[in-house]
Amino acid sequence: MKLRLTINGVTRQVVTDPDAILLDLLRDTYRLTGAKQSCDRKGQCGACTVIVNGKAVRSCTTKVGRLDGADIITVEGLGTPANPHLIQHAFVLAGAVQCGFCIPGMIMGAKALLDSNPDPSTDEIRHALRHNLCRCTGYVKIVDAVKLAGRFLRGELEPAALYPDPDGPKIGVSHPRPSALPKACGTAEFTADIHLPGALEVAAVHSPHAHALIRNIDTTAAAAMPGVAGVMTAADIKGSNRHNYMVSDRPVLCEDRVRYVGDPVAVVAADTRAHALAAVAAVKVDYEPLPVVSSPVEAIAEGAPQIHAEWNNVCLTQPQIKGDAAKAFAEAAHVVETHFHTQCNHQASLEPETSLAYFEGEGDDAQLVVVGRSINIHKHLAMLQEATGWENMRYEEAFVGGQFGIKIDVTSEGITAAAAIHFRRPVRYIPTLQESMFLSPKRHPFDMKLKLACDASGKLTAMGWDILVDNGAYNSMGNVVMLRAVQMLSASYDIPNVDALARLVYTNNPWGAAARGAGPPQTHYALESAIDLLARKVGIDPLEFRKRNTLHPGQTKSTGAVVDEWPFPELCEAIEPEYKRAVAEARAQSTPAKARGVGLGAGAFGIGGPGDQSMVAVELDDDGGITVYGAVADPGEGNDSMLSQLAADAMDLPLPKVRLQTRTTENTTANGPAAASRHTYMSGGSMLDAIGQLKAAMAEHKATTGDDLRKAGAPTRYMGTKKMVVGALDPTTGQGPSFESQVHALQLAEVEVDTETGDVRVVRMTCAVDAGRVIHPLNFVGQIEGGMDMGVGLALRERYEYGKTKDWVTFKYPSMRTAFDMQTIVRETPRPKGSNGSIGVGEMTLVATAPAVLNAIDDAIGVRIYDLPATPDKVKAALGELAAKH
Amino acid sequence: MESSQPSTDSTTPPAGGGPGEFGLSRRPREIAGRMITFDNEGFFWTVDEWDEDVAVALAAESGLAELDDAHWRVLRFLRQFYRENGRAPLNRQLAAGIDMPLLKLETLFPGGIKQGARRLAGLPNPKTCM
Repeated sequence: MKLRLTINGVTRQVVTDPDAILLDLLRDTYRLTGAKQSCDRKGQCGACTVIVNGKAVRSCTTKVGRLDGADIITVEGLGTPANPHLIQHAFVLAGAVQCGFCIPGMIMGAKALLDSNPDPSTDEIRHALRHNLCRCTGYVKIVDAVKLAGRFLRGELEPAALYPDPDGPKIGVSHPRPSALPKACGTAEFTADIHLPGALEVAAVHSPHAHALIRNIDTTAAAAMPGVAGVMTAADIKGSNRHNYMVSDRPVLCEDRVRYVGDPVAVVAADTRAHALAAVAAVKVDYEPLPVVSSPVEAIAEGAPQIHAEWNNVCLTQPQIKGDAAKAFAEAAHVVETHFHTQCNHQASLEPETSLAYFEGEGDDAQLVVVGRSINIHKHLAMLQEATGWENMRYEEAFVGGQFGIKIDVTSEGITAAAAIHFRRPVRYIPTLQESMFLSPKRHPFDMKLKLACDASGKLTAMGWDILVDNGAYNSMGNVVMLRAVQMLSASYDIPNVDALARLVYTNNPWGAAARGAGPPQTHYALESAIDLLARKVGIDPLEFRKRNTLHPGQTKSTGAVVDEWPFPELCEAIEPEYKRAVAEARAQSTPAKARGVGLGAGAFGIGGPGDQSMVAVELDDDGGITVYGAVADPGEGNDSMLSQLAADAMDLPLPKVRLQTRTTENTTANGPAAASRHTYMSGGSMLDAIGQLKAAMAEHKATTGDDLRKAGAPTRYMGTKKMVVGALDPTTGQGPSFESQVHALQLAEVEVDTETGDVRVVRMTCAVDAGRVIHPLNFVGQIEGGMDMGVGLALRERYEYGKTKDWVTFKYPSMRTAFDMQTIVRETPRPKGSNGSIGVGEMTLVATAPAVLNAIDDAIGVRIYDLPATPDKVKAALGELAAKH
Repeated sequence: MESSQPSTDSTTPPAGGGPGEFGLSRRPREIAGRMITFDNEGFFWTVDEWDEDVAVALAAESGLAELDDAHWRVLRFLRQFYRENGRAPLNRQLAAGIDMPLLKLETLFPGGIKQGARRLAGLPNPKTCM
């Protein structure tokens, strides 16, 4: 059919299938890629929101055939980075732009609201944007941005009044992120936004079995289907066909066996994605099911099926022994013995696990370019070279729509790279949401038996742990996750006697890897819950109990490592007024039907782990500015702000004179991942080292530009490094080197429990945090807020169950409906070894959240949930058990 | 609380965490009279621990009795490239940098360019997460 549309003020004649989807028309026909796709066109995420005839609509569920004569505005129709709309200014200035994937949709939703209601309340904003999902912000700064936009639009304030002076102070000032305006204007290209003419679209066949042999793969019917260029199996991959992150156990495509539901088995390449997906259904795989190992307990049982022929089911065993725990338990005045379990969870970045690959050049010189969501491009490049057998390759990081640990390992890029080599064509892989869930690693479930003891005064004397970590089908970095948990086992406290055992075990469950916090959130949930149980047993207020047991400088953690600074008591003091207020309010407002409770959760999170290294280079440019070269991925945390503000401060330059080169293996240093909250400490530190060398050279040669240095015969480029002590925990005692610094937090949860339904509503979260000097206050608080929102999801709603968790609704994605008030109390104890006194904060933020919420539930209704998440059915069942006892 | 490791026998496959030291892929061992930390693929953990004596010792271990001028040209180029760029060169960059055909480079060191030359030059693998 033929129809007329006005898109961003331009009237167009469109000949289209009436069932065509508006999102596809905008993105594929008009290359308006500001509107994003995340939820498989189910209308669940709002990332595709545009305005049609004055109303915000989800373009992924809007049929073009109904739009004859419509007036459509996309984010590109509002403004450009050079000339942004006031709403775009507001989102940047409010700190609402983190990864940026949801932001164009948020901005369009906000515009539709503000056009009809110029001064909306918080509730009205939350209602208007209830269909727009965000994983990064916890929605606080989105609401702030809409309110700020209202002020701009009402003429009460000009954006210029809020932009900091780029020549002014750089530290402690929220200068706009370098990437914020392109993201807000829809011009920042995420992987699926990159135009790749003639590319084949690929889709994968995934195993429906958790454990099975592959007897045969019949591709005949699929290969004959319309538009299909071919089908690729493991036999077509010329390299090792293994993702070798730390252990070479995960195939790009399975050869003779599948080990979890979702394991990729074959790949179809076709002219369109629809054709590829249709052909996937026609690939016939003959499986022979094998016994399934569904839990670590089953995996370590005698005679258990081995998941991998080459390796034992027990991947790693790490005890930790300090003092004499047996004696301390025998002499203790109070002991609690508990058993906790945490869930398998998806990190749920909004962007699918998209990647693309194409060749540059011809013949022997042809270089394979892989573009994707990597946060460790050099490691992933090496893995892809080995897996595919193609050495002449480079990796480029596009803008990344959140990751939270998922991209510590290769997900879709092995398939894309191998397919480009096999078919000798450019290929693009935009996995469905369920495929993205299949391909990406999960948060490891922990099963934890914990025994905690104190003396009559409430001083902690001993802890004992038996931890089983479900590694899933492949190892990835499970070793690191478990060892990080052991490294931080005593958390904020002085616990002189420790007897712990941690084991990491293969199962046929989804494979785990990094997940915001990576291990410590699980153990902190158990420890902080047990702390509350013990405090109650002794009869001491939970805050006082924590104060009384804090570690102090000069004392040792459970690893035996001595700590230099430990500003946890100060955080206890800082949060105390809020704690007292919250307790008083909860007691006053609690009713039998709606019980209110208050809970605390603490955390001490290590930064700068043993063995870590970083390299970043800086170069003096001919205009006196500098260029920073380093693979410092920024999937949304604000590493671009961190590098540019630290560099501008150290060089005394205006911010526009700091240029960042961080996204391609071609011109960056192999600098390690955007993980472990390490980039501020490690990469910031190595960059400052390089700047120190550069400044020394400039002083020596009286140079102010690169040209001056060249004329003096001096280098213009300097390589900086930062290295942690190399060492590991003793394999029998768990004693050894630890992190160079810690970020500390103490969180306060206020909840309301519906005692009829078991539903828990978080009323408010408060976080007192100390991560050294704050470089960018809005980015810093944004991390805290987003992490607490994610932590509440971990506590109450979220889990990944293969076969059941298929989209954002079944995942129970946080939304404006679940959003809550938040407050952040910032203390800034400078860290002498930090980057200008700063360390990282991105993960600490959720470490303490789940225990605070679970402690608040217990405070409200007197029941303890030992198995995350605390869903209404579990809470209700626990209430029933409690009632039966009385 | 149990704190003893599960017993294994000689028929049990190794721990799935791989052969790395304590699961973190770091393996200290003595080479040319010095303790040096390698990763689980035999690459240096830290580029600074390399010296020419160590390169000669590692070469001997790999069956290369002597390092001639061609070998040293390759090793020195690799180290210089790493110092300047913070990463290893692609093979074509190495070949162009020392004006040597790729085929010859691949046969110059036992194990080829990556497993041979890069390892002997002390270039670390890109790091994972700590």
